[in-house]
Amino acid sequence: MTAVARDLEDIVEECPADSREAGRAGVCQECPGKELCLSQGSQADPEQHVINTRLGAIRHKVLVLSGKGGVGKSTMAVLLAQMLAAEGQRVGLLDVDVCGPSIPHLLGVEDQPVLDSQWGWQPAVSPLGKIKTLSVGSLLSSQSQAVVWKGPRKTALIRRMIKDTMWGRLDTLVVDTPPGTSDEHLTIVRLLATTRPSGAVVLTSPQRLAAGVVSREIRFCQKMNIPVLGIIENMSGFCCPCCSEVSEVFPGGAGAHLAEKYQVPLLGTLPLHLGLAEAGVSSAWRDSPVAEAVMDVVAKIKEKL
Amino acid sequence: MTTTPHNAPEHCPGTNSEDAGKADACAGCPNQQVCASGEPAAPDPDLLVVKERLAAVKNKVLVLSGKGGVGKSTVSAMLGRALALDDSKEVGILDIDICGPSQPRVMGAAEEKVHSSGAGWSPVYVSDNLAVMSIGFLLNSADDAVIWRGPKKNGMIKQFLRDVDWGALDYLVVDTPPGTSDEHLSIVQYLSAAPPVAAVVVTTPQEVALLDVRKEITFCKKVNIPIIGIVENMTTFVCPKCKTETAIFPATTGGGTKLALDTGVPLLGRLPLDPRVAQACDEGTNLLTQEPDAAITQAYKDIAKKIMAFYEGQSQDTT
Repeated sequence: MTAVARDLEDIVEECPADSREAGRAGVCQECPGKELCLSQGSQADPEQHVINTRLGAIRHKVLVLSGKGGVGKSTMAVLLAQMLAAEGQRVGLLDVDVCGPSIPHLLGVEDQPVLDSQWGWQPAVSPLGKIKTLSVGSLLSSQSQAVVWKGPRKTALIRRMIKDTMWGRLDTLVVDTPPGTSDEHLTIVRLLATTRPSGAVVLTSPQRLAAGVVSREIRFCQKMNIPVLGIIENMSGFCCPCCSEVSEVFPGGAGAHLAEKYQVPLLGTLPLHLGLAEAGVSSAWRDSPVAEAVMDVVAKIKEKL
Repeated sequence: MTTTPHNAPEHCPGTNSEDAGKADACAGCPNQQVCASGEPAAPDPDLLVVKERLAAVKNKVLVLSGKGGVGKSTVSAMLGRALALDDSKEVGILDIDICGPSQPRVMGAAEEKVHSSGAGWSPVYVSDNLAVMSIGFLLNSADDAVIWRGPKKNGMIKQFLRDVDWGALDYLVVDTPPGTSDEHLSIVQYLSAAPPVAAVVVTTPQEVALLDVRKEITFCKKVNIPIIGIVENMTTFVCPKCKTETAIFPATTGGGTKLALDTGVPLLGRLPLDPRVAQACDEGTNLLTQEPDAAITQAYKDIAKKIMAFYEGQSQDTT
């Protein structure tokens, strides 16, 4: 092992990330990013009181995380929001995936503009459950427009999506996140820091490859003091519509493995189901056996809030 | 292309803006004096270093998507392996997914470490003619969370390009994270200094994926990266019992085929959901040599051939 690699290992492991120590800790001295951390964002937010006011009116904040892409975060965020709204809760769904916003499509608000008012941005309201929702997707003039923004601009937008948005009084705000452990995740966690998120629901697919990436996300939660409410293993098996044979499309059993390793609950395993690929806009899944599994998972999340 | 320096604070107005050096956000920025003086920013000296380092790397293939979980890492690895089936070719795989590096596991090298010498960092060789570099090799444990904001990730990517001693390569396949952000801007900026570079865009058939992939195609056009073509992954699943084909991710809006038509980008291939692929990726084994007669093996070989033909066409155009 070389000196280069060894230094980097220590730097990554002990990196104080986004805390007030960023750039100042002992391990930072050798880090190539030290200057950056010192010049950026470790000071208190000057408008924290505005952010606190907005968030103070929201009872529960649930982050939907994964680290891994394509495991069903947005789908799960929509299912959770819809089922809580169906029980009479006032629900919001915030989509902080700035580059790949899926929520407007899944909640059927692609044609709804976001209006500005004297009290702030008015989130769109989904016809599929009276859910208030905000996404960068709703702020774009066309769906093929690419949001090619570096970290600081993404951070600034996400801040506005909390600070300048009229969410009003909500029982639960579900936050859909992009894959990774970067700007968007740090930003939303910092914004929620003084009003504490209720916790995170972590999604994985069964593959061990996914488990490798999702482990990092769980470590991120631990480092940032976000309680992990539980793990959901998605795309777990496919039931052939013709012969009902259940096949493991993505073999591996990662959900149970992660739950055991990090001592967090396994909230459930959801199968691959045709209707779930377009959950939200399509309610085909509600009449199928997968509906029970979904309701069970949501009930467990509710218990923990 | 954006002109925010890598060490700029939040709300940097950009070095070309009229407010450069004068905005409130500029206070404390190390570049403030240069910006305020109105002198043009000096070009990044590392660009030249990267260009020199990559001089012996012939063809660069960026594997992009926009959408997560469509199989970028899988396709990057399989294409790398397919290109390396020809013993006379030297192939490299560069994994710039800093937060979720998959290549060490997919290529069966999860326990390997990177060594350095006077010539730079040595990539990890998984066979005689196939080398891999990823931040995964530089991390202590398999679950270290790399919680870095964009500029730090860019710094790492620059370091990969500057310090890795690939030697002479015929193809460098670059596996990217999902999105259109720091990592993508960074890699395009550096690789554009050392052409030819082109992109393969991966999607799955459903609209939720296409939404993001259209943006990725727009991004490529914006930054002048030619697109070799679209690969549509996870098209259908064949039940092992009754052999019925089911589209698990239904192409309700025409899938990759329609996307190719709408954007004028060629469709390179359509890959079915084959659980053996996921298993091989988990185990780090080479499905192409394990199952040489499988339909999926042939599909990947066909895509590799089209990529080779693309670059041959490009080099003929320039000679």
